[in-house]
Amino acid sequence: MLELQNISFTAPESDSGSDSPPVRSIINDISFTFEPGKFYAITGPNGSGKTTVAKLIMGINKLTDGKITFEDKDISQMSINERSQAGIVYGFQNPARFKGTTFRDLLSIAAGTDDEDALTDIIARVGVCSFDFLDKPVDSKLSGGEIKKIELATVIARNPKVAIYDEPDTGIDLWTIGPMVDLLKKEQAENNTTTIVVSHNKSFLEAADTLLLIKDGKIGYTGDLEGAMPMLEDLSVCTFSEKCEGEGNARCYR
Amino acid sequence: MLDAIDKQVLKEVADLEGVPKGAYNIRKNGQLVGREVSANINIEASEKGDGITINIKPGTVNESVYIPVILSQAGLHDVVYNTFIIGEDADVTIVAGCGIHCGSSESEGHSGIHEFQIKSGAKVKYVEKHVALGEGTGRRILNPTTKVFMEENASAEMELTQLGGVDEAKRYNEAQIGAGSVLLITERVMTEGSQAAESRNDIELSGTDSKANIVSRSVVKGDSNQDFYVNLTARAKCYGHIECDAIIMDNGTNQTIPALKALHPDAEMTHEASIGKIANDQLMKLMSLGLSYDAAVNKIIQGFLK
Repeated sequence: MLELQNISFTAPESDSGSDSPPVRSIINDISFTFEPGKFYAITGPNGSGKTTVAKLIMGINKLTDGKITFEDKDISQMSINERSQAGIVYGFQNPARFKGTTFRDLLSIAAGTDDEDALTDIIARVGVCSFDFLDKPVDSKLSGGEIKKIELATVIARNPKVAIYDEPDTGIDLWTIGPMVDLLKKEQAENNTTTIVVSHNKSFLEAADTLLLIKDGKIGYTGDLEGAMPMLEDLSVCTFSEKCEGEGNARCYR
Repeated sequence: MLDAIDKQVLKEVADLEGVPKGAYNIRKNGQLVGREVSANINIEASEKGDGITINIKPGTVNESVYIPVILSQAGLHDVVYNTFIIGEDADVTIVAGCGIHCGSSESEGHSGIHEFQIKSGAKVKYVEKHVALGEGTGRRILNPTTKVFMEENASAEMELTQLGGVDEAKRYNEAQIGAGSVLLITERVMTEGSQAAESRNDIELSGTDSKANIVSRSVVKGDSNQDFYVNLTARAKCYGHIECDAIIMDNGTNQTIPALKALHPDAEMTHEASIGKIANDQLMKLMSLGLSYDAAVNKIIQGFLK
């Protein structure tokens, strides 16, 4: 239902010398179909292109090549807000911080209502946010965990058909991750939300029906977690040992 | 006494539907059109006759005073000197503001010079809003001056707002903050077209443990210009902070000059300033929640100036 057809994305090389190519390939010819109501986890090493895939689906980054269709409609040329209105919502990895704009403002925009009871219902449904958050400005004074909870709530408040969460657990305390996974599972089950979580966290990888492992801008593996384990373990082998276990350093601190 | 236009102006300036409850003084085109005093709040013409003196008795709590000014006479440039004396331990709200209704090609202006004497332990909230309405092409000019003298352990919160319509504004704020007193100034200014607004502030933290927080939020649209200057001087162990943010749209220009001066070794002072377009990540976030680009811009500006 959400289909990536041979999508590619290149970005200008920031420090290109005269002999290197002026563009860098970030996503290289990915094709995949996300089925309605399923739970997907996208994982892979840092810089592999996970966030870029999510941003290409939302329209924040524009495709260099290929096509994205949603409910049999080509959405490749649609703006961010058109895709949002079509039912796709993205929770940012690094949520924007505003000046003056409050959680209530964001939640009202997301829910399409400023009715007090409706907003209270959403906060109760999301569970992880406190009611005291409502009139807090969404600014740089919020902690990393608080802003991620607010981000999560604004996605859920839109009742999306496709919800994409980009590392929703960043800054979240260990005790909240379990309830957060349960919440996304519940939204998936009750509203048939197609759920896509970009994460390294085992809790999300275990919760997913299908796991996508992205490496060097390509899909390296799709399937269940068990099948992915050999590749994930392979990725966890440290490639920095030469640097940190050399003459000047005694051991690995990871 | 008050016609339809006056009522519209009062609504915009002071959020009033007709005449307010409690103490008030309404000035229109340089003349007094209505005044009411209360048991604790006295309003009378100043000795020189060029303004009013508002005297709030010590210990007065939960009362408010409205002193709006309406200007609708072409060519009039009204100057008024008002003095506020806020007695010990009083806790009051003062709503001032000026609304210009311009219906011709002649300019109109108002210069309100307000002096506050805030006695020990008193708490005051001062809300001042400037608006300009009407179809006329005459320039609308507002030049407010606010002088604040705070004794000990007093607190003052000043909200100064000018959201469009005013062609020229030159504001001057001056304050002397005594021991243990706290001053919070929030200025919100939106200019558009070829409007120009300037704000100069000289704030002195003179008493031990005095505090000041000066916040400025500017939105500069069209070809307009805004300049913001603050000199914050510390003469005692104190805390002072300046925060000025400007959002530039179209071809607006802005100059922001926060200055900190510590004349005491225990002074603690900070400032932060930013000028720039609306942040892209804020726009993306609101668009991902379904708003169009223009609606997202409006929401961000609304929140910024709230």
